[in-house]
Amino acid sequence: MSVERLREALLDGDQNRAVLEAKRLVDGGAPGETIVTEAIEKVMEQLGAKCTVEQFNLLEIMLVGRAVTAVMKGLFPEGAPCATVKGAVVLASLEGDVHDLGKNIVKTVLTAKGIGVIDCGKDCSLDKLIEAAKRDNARFICISGLITSVVPQVRRVKGLCLARGLGQIRVVAGGAALKQSTAQSLNVDYVAENAFDGARYIEEIVEASL
Amino acid sequence: MPWLSVGEGVRIPFQPGMSVRDILDGTDHRVRSGCSGTGACGLCLVRIEQGSAGEPTQVERLHLDHASLEEGLRLACQIIASEDLRITIVGRAPRPGWKRAVRRAVKEYGIFELEEVAAGVVHPLGIAVDLGTTFIGLSLWDLTSRRCVSDRQGVNPQAEHGSDVMTRLLSASRSEQKARRLQELAFEAIGEALEDIGLREGINLEQVVRIVLVGNTAMLTLLGGTNHELLLKPRYWTLPIDSPGHWLQRWPARHAIHPGASVWVVPSLAGFVGSDLLAGVLSTEMTEKSEGALLIDFGTNTEIALWDGKSLWVSSAAGGPAFEGAGIGCGMPAERGAIFRITLENSILAFDVVDNAEPLGLCGSGLVDLLAVLVRSGRLDEAGRFLPTIPADGFVLSSAPPGIVLTKRDVDTIQRAKAAIATGVQILMAEAGQGGKQIKRLYVGGAFGQWLDIANAQQIGLLPDIEATSIRLCGNTALAGCEDLLMSPSSVKSLERIRGCAKVVNLSDHDGFHDSFMENLYLRRMKIG
Ligand code: B12
Ligand code: FES
Repeated sequence: MSVERLREALLDGDQNRAVLEAKRLVDGGAPGETIVTEAIEKVMEQLGAKCTVEQFNLLEIMLVGRAVTAVMKGLFPEGAPCATVKGAVVLASLEGDVHDLGKNIVKTVLTAKGIGVIDCGKDCSLDKLIEAAKRDNARFICISGLITSVVPQVRRVKGLCLARGLGQIRVVAGGAALKQSTAQSLNVDYVAENAFDGARYIEEIVEASL
Repeated sequence: MPWLSVGEGVRIPFQPGMSVRDILDGTDHRVRSGCSGTGACGLCLVRIEQGSAGEPTQVERLHLDHASLEEGLRLACQIIASEDLRITIVGRAPRPGWKRAVRRAVKEYGIFELEEVAAGVVHPLGIAVDLGTTFIGLSLWDLTSRRCVSDRQGVNPQAEHGSDVMTRLLSASRSEQKARRLQELAFEAIGEALEDIGLREGINLEQVVRIVLVGNTAMLTLLGGTNHELLLKPRYWTLPIDSPGHWLQRWPARHAIHPGASVWVVPSLAGFVGSDLLAGVLSTEMTEKSEGALLIDFGTNTEIALWDGKSLWVSSAAGGPAFEGAGIGCGMPAERGAIFRITLENSILAFDVVDNAEPLGLCGSGLVDLLAVLVRSGRLDEAGRFLPTIPADGFVLSSAPPGIVLTKRDVDTIQRAKAAIATGVQILMAEAGQGGKQIKRLYVGGAFGQWLDIANAQQIGLLPDIEATSIRLCGNTALAGCEDLLMSPSSVKSLERIRGCAKVVNLSDHDGFHDSFMENLYLRRMKIG
């Protein structure tokens, strides 16, 4: 089954058509993972070429973003009852980064798997992020990074956790700007290829400790 | 000029046609931002309190809902200001170590070939750096559209280890550890400025494939981490000094720029003639014409170049950082609260202050004005002595705390700084056999911004008496020349020609130095033949 038509609909920013195409794929047996990695991520990569200083069209990108959000809602309807909440995750895009589509997908995927997510939003300062992790007794801090300039902030997270007695927290990074780096160079515990890869890592650790 | 007011106290004059974000970027009151002002990030929130900011753009309507717009919320990068405006900054950026420089005239560059590493990079970028003793300036360029993307100016943190080059060279040659520290400081500062650009403009620094850096010889050897001890020996002042570049390999990894980026530290000419002066000469194009011209690049080390049509006579005068506002009790850099202009109206002193804030001190142009005005009104004589009626502590410009007082010692420091420069100019002219009439153009670079009052500077003998219309206030000529080297291969050739015809003059070698220096201490017009 081809994801081509879903890609076209997304790229056109046609939210209704995109939702219909996604539903068609799901009914045909395509896993959510394929839809996210083969359609959504690929389309946004194509869009990336347009997100430059010269030919920048905010409206066009916003429309695609809206279609992506609608497709995700269709795939993972909200309020789907999940049995137990396994270990809290604090999630954010860091200060200066306003990209949140990827982060929202991570949130959806983790929630669907029964993992509790505290969403600190986009453009979130390290202080706020770590404060939230402490308050909610988080076991994981998940960072979504789409612009390279947040890398120095990412590198500081572990140190700040340690300084506040939160050394046991695992830090997971993902997003286009971070996934090309190694965990070591980012000073994090894991760098996820995509939302599902990240979710598997978190599940493994949670299950091992049960 | 119209004014942009921020909250109650701050007023900033601006050139109509600039965006509110760009106006704020040149001050301590920056608005947050995460894109290059394209309207992509939506972080640069301000509220309009008074005045008209025009209709919201389509981009603003995407970020701000109806209620927010009703409330007066707008995006600073989208408002093109043309008249007086009063705003509140909603998303305030932290106080910057780095500011946007005052925009100079932008040069047009032709198409050029890119290095191989740029092949896989969508938007190859280049960086020009002027590593100054007191300030560091840098600008980021798009190598394909050949436009300046952004720039920054900030303080060289090495100043903690001495405001003048000699102190820094001494401490570096005393201990290996100190030398490393000084090297690190410069390195880190450049990295910080880049990080600020990356974060605030949303620019991926991995696209940087080319860096060109100029500086005076002392700064280059300290950055290189070797040979700085040679500069302490006078015989090296007129000789070329290497600043080996093997450490440059660390640059790309440290600052997260493209791993294959080329880094070119433009070598200096001699111990006290740095590549900053060569770049300055390049940017003015003074050697392209046959008529005589003079460049004075004011700084902690003021560098002087005289073109006689065939040779370029170059030297440097260690005047100290007085005109950058350092080393003077009432001096300060041209920041918020600095008095930058003083006029005498009906025997009352009137002054203009940066940001229209409470005055805290005087920057270089303010000091020049103050001295000229005090001499003109007879309160200070040409030898630098106050009238007996003036209190022993000095001339009180403002008694409101913290108090701004020009002491006898301040006057003395300024006199010595300007005497060193004037002597340098005279000796170069004598060496080149040039008289005042042969100098058709005077380029003033460095410390003084756009506010230097030429008549006042000439009155106290800081600048030679040359027709005011032939004098250009050029700002940072070193950075401008460095940008030429980054953006135009023909400039690289011109630089070699300039090197080829340069003649280095050591002022202290000169017989007449001492006499001229004493003569030039007087606050009166500079004598040029
Ligand atoms: C959409 C978009 C925007 C939208 C964002 C809308 C929104 N609400 O998010 C808008 C228009 C606002 C925008 C603005 C800008 N953008 Co933009 N944008 C993009 C674009 C086209 C798509 C990003 C996206 O949503 N991808 C889709 C999602 C689903 O993918 P993802 O985030 O990678 O997430 C997946 C995985 O990585 C993973 N994941 C993500 N995070 C995490 C975290 C964890 C813990 C885990 C486990 C997994 C995980 O899960 C997801 C599903 O598998 C990219 C291009 C690209 N190729 O990425 C550029 C891009 C990211 N933008 C870019 C730039 C430069 C900008 C601007 C600065 C533009 C400018 N120059 O003025 C501004 C300001 C940005 C800022 N300060 O934050 C550059 C960044 C360059 C860089 N490396 O630094 C890119 C790469 C475009 C480019 N080629 O130049 N942008
Ligand atoms: S939207 Fe104004 S700076 Fe990004």
